[in-house]
Amino acid sequence: MTTEPHRLSVVRGGENRLARRILSISIHAVLIACSILMLYPLIWMLAASVRPQTEIFQSGSIIPSAIDFSSYVRGWFGLRISFGTFFWNSFVIATLSIVGNLIACSLAAFAFARLDFAGRRFWFALMLGTLMLPYHVTLIPQYVLFLNLGWVNTILPLVVPKFLAADAFFIFLMVQFFRGIPRELDEAAMMDGCGPWRIYWKIMLPLSMPVLATAAIFTFIWTWDDFFGPLIYLNDMRSYTVQLGLRSFVDSSAQSDWGGLFAMSTLSLVPVFFFFLFFQRLLIEGIATTGMKR
Amino acid sequence: MTNRRSFLIGSAALAALGATGVRPAFAQADRLRLLWWGSQDRADRTFAVADLFEAANSGMTVDGEFLGWGDYWPRVATQTAGGNAPDVIQMDYRYLFEYARRGALAPLEGYRGEALHVDDFDQAQIEGGSVDGSLYGISLGANSSALMLNVAAFEEVGMDLPGPDTTWEEFAAAMTEFSQATPRQNYAGTADGSGVEPLFENWLRQRGKALYTADEQLGFDAADVTEWFQMWADMRAAGATVPPDVQALDQYTIETGMVSLGRAATSFAHSNQLVGYQAINPEPITLSNYPRVGADGSGGHYRKPSMFFSVASQAANPEGAVAFIDFFVNNPEAAAVLGVERGVPESAAVRDALTPTLDELGQRAVAYVAGLGDLAGALPPPPPAGAGEVDFALRRVSEEIAFGATTPEAAGPAFIDEAAGILARG
Amino acid sequence: MTARADASIDIAAGRANRSVLSRFWERNGAGYMFLVPWLIGFFGLTLGPALISLYLSFTNFDLLREPVWVGTANYVRMVTADPKFAASMRVTFSFVLFSVPLKLCFALLVAVALNRGMRGLPLYRAVFYLPSLLGASVAIAVLWRQLFAADGLVNMFLANFGIVGPSWISNPNYSLWTLIVLSVWQFGSPMIIFLAGLRQIPADMYEAASLDGASRWRQFYKITLPLLTPVIFFNAVVQTIEAFKAFTPAFIISGGTGGPINSTLFYTLYLYQEAFAYFRMGYASALAWVLVVIVALFTGFAFLTSKFWVHYDD
Repeated sequence: MTTEPHRLSVVRGGENRLARRILSISIHAVLIACSILMLYPLIWMLAASVRPQTEIFQSGSIIPSAIDFSSYVRGWFGLRISFGTFFWNSFVIATLSIVGNLIACSLAAFAFARLDFAGRRFWFALMLGTLMLPYHVTLIPQYVLFLNLGWVNTILPLVVPKFLAADAFFIFLMVQFFRGIPRELDEAAMMDGCGPWRIYWKIMLPLSMPVLATAAIFTFIWTWDDFFGPLIYLNDMRSYTVQLGLRSFVDSSAQSDWGGLFAMSTLSLVPVFFFFLFFQRLLIEGIATTGMKR
Repeated sequence: MTNRRSFLIGSAALAALGATGVRPAFAQADRLRLLWWGSQDRADRTFAVADLFEAANSGMTVDGEFLGWGDYWPRVATQTAGGNAPDVIQMDYRYLFEYARRGALAPLEGYRGEALHVDDFDQAQIEGGSVDGSLYGISLGANSSALMLNVAAFEEVGMDLPGPDTTWEEFAAAMTEFSQATPRQNYAGTADGSGVEPLFENWLRQRGKALYTADEQLGFDAADVTEWFQMWADMRAAGATVPPDVQALDQYTIETGMVSLGRAATSFAHSNQLVGYQAINPEPITLSNYPRVGADGSGGHYRKPSMFFSVASQAANPEGAVAFIDFFVNNPEAAAVLGVERGVPESAAVRDALTPTLDELGQRAVAYVAGLGDLAGALPPPPPAGAGEVDFALRRVSEEIAFGATTPEAAGPAFIDEAAGILARG
Repeated sequence: MTARADASIDIAAGRANRSVLSRFWERNGAGYMFLVPWLIGFFGLTLGPALISLYLSFTNFDLLREPVWVGTANYVRMVTADPKFAASMRVTFSFVLFSVPLKLCFALLVAVALNRGMRGLPLYRAVFYLPSLLGASVAIAVLWRQLFAADGLVNMFLANFGIVGPSWISNPNYSLWTLIVLSVWQFGSPMIIFLAGLRQIPADMYEAASLDGASRWRQFYKITLPLLTPVIFFNAVVQTIEAFKAFTPAFIISGGTGGPINSTLFYTLYLYQEAFAYFRMGYASALAWVLVVIVALFTGFAFLTSKFWVHYDD
């Protein structure tokens, strides 16, 4: 972090130091205040998961009148299949999705960002077009397709599309970042006799850690939160994901275990939160810290 | 194009660029797929009955699955359209007709008496599961519309709860008085029921009208609509109801009902939801019938099949599916497990055996539905296609009036036009 | 372009002569090799269902029976006889117009603030991302009702300043705003992308500028913003597309009704109601394709103007 640009200005003068300290404290104060705004829902959910069920819907104090952790136990084992299974299923799907997205989307993005070929703009436009169609209207034909492939009630409809770069968001994202990497680098490599594969593997990917980390984070979180795909394609409670399990707690027309819902909702955030904390380190290791000169 | 399914399959296969693969046998004779909506409590009971059924029928497996109401219908629609419907599907009164008329459900008439024992059922409930003269759904329980009342709030101001004979005039006066008397902040006598379709239907039926006629037309006219909205506008102006921007929080679910949100002493709901209401309310809740138009005359209620089990027309083993349904509604052990969670059981034998074993809330719900007596009439004709959209429209118009965007006089003819247009479109 | 596409078709059919083929392959082979997974996915999984939905948009299709060809009737109805189409368009356009710029500004601001080297940054970032983690859960629906109801936390706060606020979430004049606030509050994704973009700006550029005595603001304006334009462009395009397609917030908060008085009837929520509540998949498909055209126009316009303000390195 020694090349961090803003640090440099700190050494500029003594009279500035006090001002900087005050600035830093006030920035922290603002950030902490904002953090509370951001954390409020989590605190509220935690409170809802331990308070008596009769308090949840009648608004009032966030502080529960009584604290009872039994809804965690009840929620975990409440659905016949334990939440452990759901966590595992979600984890498997999310991990495979990350692998698929990183490989397939970066390949396509490299082609769009760096290689020149006939029809590039045409394919790029089509690729963006796939972002625009609401999924509700392709749901049934897609279901029929996967049913005929024999994939319904497996995780294949949720995972295979990722290996086929079906999520144009990530392709577009990577294209934008790849285009930010100086072209002189590939040109120099090309002079040295490197083919496109080597350029992709040896230059593009290592220099794209921030965007790859971003893609990994988003894939994990969005797959973890995805609900509609699993709802349609997973028909066996043993293969349910966490989100599907959560939705099973509540039916607004009947008696529902709201405490269990909020307890498991809180727990379901733990893996994503730590995944985020861990992977965002990779965000930091970008070009900025490799000290590369242009 | 021969038919829709082969068209879809054909195009999809084309799209798969010749990806081969024989269609897997999802429907297996010894494996029943069962799908219902409901909460975890319902799931526990249903799974237990499935276990009992498996134990009694060696070689059969029941794969049960459940979802919340909102998630349930897209899933059922997708699976049915894709040709992969579950064997036994839980059906709602409204959707039963939509699915049966589109050929998605198997007629059960042929099983009656032999595989399917429904002789001691309430005959009206059998008819409730019939579409165009054939049986498509077996009612899993009866319920009826009801007021949910916060007992403590009424006791606090020393007022009587609305009872079986309370008329709309008395109800309006009492709710106005309550709103003035209650010490609670932002608390009113009643929710604003002007957009609640079952309440409107009840009111129409008491006046000898109906939501829909047997030939799928509207069963009321603009004058009815105007009078209805005017009655509520007067109550709103008098302060009997919650204000419009509070009422708009109500999504007609248990947890958003005005009683559950702590904003009013009266909500409009269904009798089988009493247990659910009590579970999230700190104060005692009870139920009563809807107010009456006149002291004499009918009460407008009817015993509504709360939900059905139907067999998909795509089921590989319809006999097995029917056997499961028969077990579900007639087996005493199953009945003991199920209780009245889905409503009051239809079989008289089951009901008699069950009632003494229920807790106080359950007994009260059973007693309410059983005790409607003269207040209850015949089942209304099945809702026509488009009824769901009319329901949404009623609610929207009621909000437009409450927020002052239109008047009851203008809303009457406008609503009739809109509803007739929706029905014509289907 | 078309000539080239034709050539590729010819080659695929094996009709072209050898030298043309090998020349084409030499020039374009690498690009297509990298595109193979995407092409398989596009032709195998995406294109078929999309074309079927396009076909269905010219039919009456009730999900369970055969579709019936009705020509352009669905499209005609939309513009001539459907007040809900117009209402949902208004709602969605207002949502896009306000939520996208607000969200982007917020995300950029926070990203720049959280890019500086200081203590506890990873934690701050995680905390600021938290609202986005919650997504569109049932918990958010309940919480939002409690925050923005008449006696909710927001009005309690306003009461300190003597303001008596309305019931924001259930008043048709303000309900859409609570959804815009929700969307802006979940600014985590564009923030992370901005952060990744900031990391890609070479540090030596700031060093040079610093030595030249450029102020912080000038550095931001002269270095950060121009070099970040590809990422800003990406976020703007993607967020606009997503906002046009926004569905879940309105669905969970209004319980699927789009109320009160259609004030939160997002376009895709209306589309969903038509498809799955009213069994009109044909009409819903037509709605979907109209949305595609509108979004494509916006996106195309963004790409056209990008020449003038997006700076790529290549």
